[in-house]
Order: sequence, then C-alpha cells, then structure tokens
Amino acid sequence: MTTTTRVRRGLGLSIALATGLGLAACAGGSTPEPGASGNASEGSTTAEITFWDPYPQHTEGTPWDEHVKSCAPDGSTIVRTSAPQTDLLNQLTTAVKEGTAPDVVVLDNPMMPEAAAAQLLATAEQAGIATAGIDKNLMGPGVVDGVEYGVPFGSNALGLYYNADQLEKAGVDPAAITDWASLDAAIEKTVAAGGKGITFSGIAGEEGVFQFLPWFWGSGADLSDIGTPEAVSAGQLLSGWIGNDWAPRSAATDNQSAAWDLFLTGDYAFAENGSWFASAAADTDFKTGVIPIPAKDGGVAPVPTGGEFAVAPIQTTDASDHYANAAAVIACLTEGEAALTTNETLGYLHAKPEVRAEQVAANPLWEPWVAPIEGAEGRTTELGSEYVNVSASLSEALQGALNAAGDASGVETAFQDASGY
Amino acid sequence: MSLLTTPELAAPQGTRTAPPVDGRRSRRKTTWTAVAFVAPLVIYLVLFYAYPLVQNVVMSLHRFDRFSFVNGGAPFVGFDIYAEVVAQSRFWVVVRQTVIFTTASIVLQYAIGLALAAFFHRSRFRLSATLRGLYLIPWLLPVIVSGTTWQWMMSPDTGVLNAFLGIFGADPVWWLNADNALLSVTIANIWLGVPFNLVILYSGLQNIPADLYEAAALDGAGPWQSFWRITVPLLRPVTLIALLLGLVYTLKVVDIIWIMTSGTGSSQTLATWSYGMAFGKGTSAVIRYSEASAVGTILLLAALVFGFVYIAVQRKQED
Amino acid sequence: MNRSWWTIAVAVLLTAIMLFPVYWMVNVSLTRRESIRRGELLPFDFTTEHYVVVLREQLPYLGTSLLVGLGTVLVTLLVAAPASFALAKLAVPGRRLLNFMLIVAQMVPAVVMSLGFYSIYSRIGLLNTVPGLILADSTIAVPFAVMLVTAFMTGIPRELMQAAQLDGASAWRTFRSVVLPMSRNSMITAALFAFLWAWSDFLFASTLDREGGSLRPITMGIYNYIGAQNQEWGPMMATAVVASIPAAALLVVAQKYIAAGVTAGAVKD
Repeated sequence: MTTTTRVRRGLGLSIALATGLGLAACAGGSTPEPGASGNASEGSTTAEITFWDPYPQHTEGTPWDEHVKSCAPDGSTIVRTSAPQTDLLNQLTTAVKEGTAPDVVVLDNPMMPEAAAAQLLATAEQAGIATAGIDKNLMGPGVVDGVEYGVPFGSNALGLYYNADQLEKAGVDPAAITDWASLDAAIEKTVAAGGKGITFSGIAGEEGVFQFLPWFWGSGADLSDIGTPEAVSAGQLLSGWIGNDWAPRSAATDNQSAAWDLFLTGDYAFAENGSWFASAAADTDFKTGVIPIPAKDGGVAPVPTGGEFAVAPIQTTDASDHYANAAAVIACLTEGEAALTTNETLGYLHAKPEVRAEQVAANPLWEPWVAPIEGAEGRTTELGSEYVNVSASLSEALQGALNAAGDASGVETAFQDASGY
Repeated sequence: MSLLTTPELAAPQGTRTAPPVDGRRSRRKTTWTAVAFVAPLVIYLVLFYAYPLVQNVVMSLHRFDRFSFVNGGAPFVGFDIYAEVVAQSRFWVVVRQTVIFTTASIVLQYAIGLALAAFFHRSRFRLSATLRGLYLIPWLLPVIVSGTTWQWMMSPDTGVLNAFLGIFGADPVWWLNADNALLSVTIANIWLGVPFNLVILYSGLQNIPADLYEAAALDGAGPWQSFWRITVPLLRPVTLIALLLGLVYTLKVVDIIWIMTSGTGSSQTLATWSYGMAFGKGTSAVIRYSEASAVGTILLLAALVFGFVYIAVQRKQED
Repeated sequence: MNRSWWTIAVAVLLTAIMLFPVYWMVNVSLTRRESIRRGELLPFDFTTEHYVVVLREQLPYLGTSLLVGLGTVLVTLLVAAPASFALAKLAVPGRRLLNFMLIVAQMVPAVVMSLGFYSIYSRIGLLNTVPGLILADSTIAVPFAVMLVTAFMTGIPRELMQAAQLDGASAWRTFRSVVLPMSRNSMITAALFAFLWAWSDFLFASTLDREGGSLRPITMGIYNYIGAQNQEWGPMMATAVVASIPAAALLVVAQKYIAAGVTAGAVKD
C-alpha cells in the first residue's frame, strides 16, 4: 500500500522534472537564421585552427599530419583530430548543435547533401573556398539546390583487381573481360584451375552499396527505381557468384578492407576494390593488375565517385574568423604545389584534370584509374538528400540477394520487397 | 570530494541513537542517518541520469530530423512516432528476435556461469584463482576486436569453427547469413556474459558459510541435496541480481551484434534497430532520432516491467 | 592426489575453451596481413611487426586507460558503498523507489547518456579531460555496484551490527569497521566490474574524449588502425593483446582477494 503511493509520488516528481527540463530544452533551441551571417573576407585567422578528418590511420607525425599542419597560416597552429568516416557526420552534428564545431572538416562526399540540408555547412562562397576548375562529376555531391558547399580535393574509384598469376595459370586474358558474360567465364576458368573466384564487400550500409553501384548502374538500372528487372539482374550476378562458390559467403558481412584481406591471401583471382589500394597491390606476394568494372552488355560501368570534401561547418559566434581560418587552410591544401602533395599522401587522384595529368605522368600506377574517375557518377547528384533513403533500401535488397545465394526468385523478392519501402 | 564528507557529517547524529531508549525518536534519527548515507547516490542519479532520460522521452514525442536536432523547432507529435514504429511490419519480428536473444543469452550465461562457479568453489587447487582471473579476459578486450574475432571464426568459408565441425563430418554452416545470424550472435554474446555470471555467482558462493555444508554432510545429505537445500536458497539474492542485470544488459546489447552482422537478418534486436536509426548506420542509412528514442523508450518500459517483478520478488523474500 | 590432478585438467580445459577466441586474436596478431584471413590454427606466416608498431604508438593510451579505470573504481565505490549500506540495513524512505530507479538508470541507452554528457561538458569545460571521462564511465558501474553490494550487505547478520551499536558505535563506525570489512568480496567484485567497464568503454571515450590527444584511453588508440576504407587488423589485435596484459594481471590479483568464508569467520569471532 504505502509503496504504491510512494512510487506514485516519485513519478509525479519526475514528471514535473521532465516538463521543466523539456521546456528548458525548447527554450535553448532558438538559433539565429543559420548560414546568414559571417564571411571569410571580413574575418581574420585565429591562433588556433581546429581540423577534423576521417583518416585516423594518419597519426601524429605522419606525412599527412605534417602536411595539414604545414598549412597553418602565419601565427596560427592547426589542431587536427580524426574519427572514422561513419562517425564523423554525427560528431559534426553534435558539435554544431553545441557550438563547438571545428574550422575545417573533411567529409565523405555522399554525406554532403544531408549535411547541407541540415544546415551544418557554410557555403563555399561564405567560407572563401575556391571551386573553379574542379571536374563537374566530382563537384556534383557538393552542390545542393545550386549552391556550392566545400571542395573535393581528390577522388578515388573502384576497379577490378586481378591476380595475374592465377589468370595466367587458368589461361584467362584480362583484356578480354569486357562484359558480365566474359567476366563470369573468366571467374569460372580460374575456379576450375583451383582458385576461389572473386571478393567484394556486400556489408549492410553505405559501404556495401558503394561497391554494388557499379553493377547496378552497369546493368542499366537507375536509382529512381530499384525494383526494375535491370536492378534485379545486378543482384542476380553477385548472388550467383555466391551460389556457385565463386565468391566467399562472408562477402555479405565483409567490409572493403576485409574483402581486400581475402584477396591478399592469393586464393582469389579477382577483387572489386578501390584505388586507395593501388600502391598496396603493387607490393603483394603475387603479380596484380587492374581493369575497369565491365557493364552488363559491354563497355565500362560507371562507378560512384569516391573521396571527401573539405568544408567549413556553420558557425554562430565569430563566424567570419572561423571562415577565414577555413579559407586559408583549404586553399593551402587544394591549390598550387601542395594540392599534389595532398593527393599523393592520401593515395587519391586530384579533382582537377590538369593536376591529375601531372600525377599520372609522375606515377604510372595511377594510369588505369583515370578513366573510371572521369566517368564516375556522384551517388547523390540525381537524388540529393533523398539518396540516403534509396541507399538504405538498396542495402536491404543486396543483403537479401546475397543471402539467396543464386536463387533467382529469392533475389527478385529481395528487390521487390526493398523497393516497396 | 563532498561525497566523502557527507556520511561523516551524519555520524554524530548516529552516535546519539546508540542505545535505543525511545523507539519513536530513534527511528526518526535512523531515518536521517539513512538519508545521509544514500544522499550521494540520489544526487548522483539525479545529476547524471535524469537529464538524458527525460531527453530520450522528449525526443520520442517530437519529430526530429538532423536539421531540427541542431537548430530546434521539431514539432510535437504526441505518440504518433510510437504508433508508426509499432505499425511497421518488422516491429513484431524484431521483438520476437529480441526475446529469443535475451532469453537464450541470460539462461545459458547463468547456467554456464553457475556451473563454472560451483566447479571452482568445490575444487580448490593452486591454479584456481589464476584461472578464474583468466576467465575475465574476454571482458578486457575491446568488443570491436572480440566481435571481429568471432566473425572470422564463424566465417563460412575459412572459419575455424566450420573446420572444427568438419572433423565430425558436418557440412560448413553459413553462420552469419540472415537465418543463422541470431544463433551466431547469441553464441558470441553468451561467451561475453559468462565471466560476469561466474564472478558474481562465485563470490555469492563464497559468502555461504562453510559450516552449513558441514552440518548438512553430518546429517547425511549428498552433494545434490545440499546444492538444492543450501546453495540454491542462499544464492537467491545474488541469482536475482545476476538475472535482472543480465536481462538489462542483454536487452541493450549493440556492439557485439553490430560488429558481427550490422544487425542484418535475424540478428536485428530492438537495441540494434534503435542504434542504427540513432546514428544512421547499417541498412538504416537515414538518421531517425525520434524513432530511435521511441524504440529506446520501449526498451526502457520493458526493463521497468522486469524492475517491478524484481521488486515484487525481493519483497516476497523479505516477508 | 589423482582426483585433484583431474580437477586441474578439467579446469584448464574449460578455461582453454573459454579463451579460444582470445587465442585466435593472439594468433592473428602474429600473422602477416597477407595471411590473416587464411584461418590457420598457428601463425605460420609469422611476424612481430604489429607489436613493434603498437609498442611504439600505444603506451601513452595504456597509461590513460589505467588512470581512467582506477578513477572509475574510486568514484563508484565512494558513491555506492554508503548507499548500499543504507539500503541494506537502515530505514531509507522511498527505498523501493530508489531500487526501482537503479534498474531504470541502467536501461538508459549509453548513446543518450553520452549526448547528455556532451552537452553539459561542453558548457563546463570537462570535454576531453580525464576527470570528465571518469565521471561518465562511473555511470555504467554505479547502479550495478549499489545493487550488488546491497544484496550482499543484506546478508550480514543483524546481530553483528546490533552488537556494534550496543558497544556505542555510530552508524558511520558500524559501517566502516563492521560492514565494510565484511563486504569485501562484493566490493572487490563491484570494483572489478567498474574497472572492466571503464577499460572497455568506447562510446563515452569517442564522444567525450575525442580530442584528448594522448589523454585518450586505449580503445581510442585502436582508432589509429581504422582508416576510411582500410582497417589494419594485425595492429588492432596486437593492441588488444598488449592492453589486456596489465589488466589481466590486475584481475588475477583481485581474484585472489575474494577470499572464502569472510562472513562465517566474522560471525565466529
């Protein structure tokens, strides 16, 4: 008896507390019109400049870290911190909300429309960021409703790595792989010769979708409808590899790094993976090469643009000074001689064609990657901030397809179900 | 620091109560002493839990997106979000998976933990303490590492688990596909939870006076009988805690599942679902603060129900 | 003699099964990247290079982790021990409500907790500091510690306390010289878990101590091997191995202190 009254009294107290705090929370949410104020040209750089990037592997003292810090204007020091790609946007969201946003953040390109729509970013104009001369397809994700936010300083792309030793043993000529049929035939031959086939990443989420898109687009499918027969045929291709034991079943949970580790064992003839592994591929225990990902009926499939944008988060206090910081640092990283260093240290190809040509001339490793990057399509260019919804559905469809392990009706159901969302 | 001094301040009051003369007066004074002893905890709870707790509920009653999360102005929608979440076809599927995951995990964690604790309790030998210490190592490992290790051991292609089963002629199992994912993450989670149960139950066993067993043995009770007559009843408060906390922790397990499967297939639980929506990860690429909070609140309510059960059982024990 | 030999054999076997995933981690940490996904039982493609990297980079983080772990233990026990005593032995008004709140507190998702802390810390300047992280980490352990220690203290015979009170001891002295020593097992257990939770916490560290430089715990040190598209599992597993050695030593020592028959002994005296 007494207990119930006590509990009730306690609940009443906490409800009162709840309302109070709730009101306080609402009252705290009055922010001035976002993005309206501040301009880099009206501010001056400050003593400390904060810089966030998604490259935790480049620890303090590494070439990238030193390169960034060397970009501090006179009288300033750069404080650089990193977090994994998938956490960075959420951390930026929290920081903007609490007024602790950094001066510069390096953001993965498909996140740009969402970040812009949530008004987390200052426009390129406000922040004094120059975007002239950047390839249009690479700039695409950073343009939201005709307004430019930030600048892509470099790009990466997906290609099809192969184990030259295995191909030779199986009598496969990589140059003859020009469409899905010839790719399937090549995989079959290498498996017959004792190999294990192809590795790719089909993990749930954006990373797996990134790897699936070349097949999806290469089939003729379009992101505006993921339930078409073309889309299903792309799912069928990957699902069939698993069903035939031509690809590891762990592909459904492997990320790109894990898929690469499998390729490194030397057991697999092919690996769909990114240009960031180009120099690592040259150091493997076996001979490797790379070809573009073929489209279904021949030709090169468009790959999604990869790489990050350097942007200035929106600021509410001393905005102009923060933007001046951003302008100085970003200009240093993306223009002139330093731009080349930026890309070489990250293993990216520059977003401006003439600098890219310079890179290729100096390092033949990049040669096979120029065409995929120039033909790449922005994931969000067509759909803008709607893309994340479609990507989520596509991820569900892909998971279903891989689990179906070659069963045609299973793949079809997976895509139908997912397109219903 | 003030946490330290509070009980000392209370001490003088307690001193005067020492030989209870007047019943009513002494009770009131004990109450004040009691309040002084719990005050640090109460302050602590209010400071650190009230705000997030309330925040969680407030978020589930407003429709937040990334923009309004930052800039405010999310519209109040009452219980609409709860209705939408429950109406989703996947809701009850996820609830079912959560129930299976939770029940299987806590029952087996407890059973294995108790068996091991009893084993170590009964047989004292030199290595015993060292081995018990080693059992805790799974807890020391960052889950990102132990989760990945499990993922590799369960790899359908080259995993050591399939290689082991292959010795007995079993076909390779695709541990982490949509159908088997729940089983696989439950196994890994049981592995993670056994040390917790082992340690708690072992110290519970240690607290049972040895002379009780000696007396029982003199009366001719076998090991099985003394287990049921002495161990089980005297271990009940500790059991209750182990099961309740096991339940609470298992309900909110995210990391091990997320690292192994990203919550795909049958391994999606209410907690991973909420996590995916709160961060826009996995197959929920869109950030859904409000839905995440609603699912979080539903989880909280589930825990509340068990909290009531716990208190009821506790009360019955005291009577 | 023969029987105890068997017991040890069984115990070692059980431990081995339980620790097999840990062995697997050690195995991977000693294997070159080219072979980590081969699934071989022994590190045939042997290398120690991952350890070289880790010992060069991770030692400061290890120190921070120890500091955070011990600090969390301290805060947890300071809050939990007196409260547990009151809940177990004194007439606390609203005791059931408090018990109930302890259960609720543990259900608050850590994600929500971390956002709340972030908001408060950014205002009072505790962001990216060790004390801030200790406070946050203690919230994982305090409700648990209170519940556990209360359950044990409830079992302390009332006669003992009454005896102390008849001797004229205050509640504080009864607590300190009778109840605390008798609850040693449960206090060590609670301390163990507080330490372990703080040690393995990632979420609070990644939200509240992200920009802490070398004042970050080892779970954040592992970040160094997670790139945008590339994770280096060799050094990550090696970090986990290196990080677990001092902590494991501490655990083994603590386990030895969970002595048998503390209650029984005290009653007899």
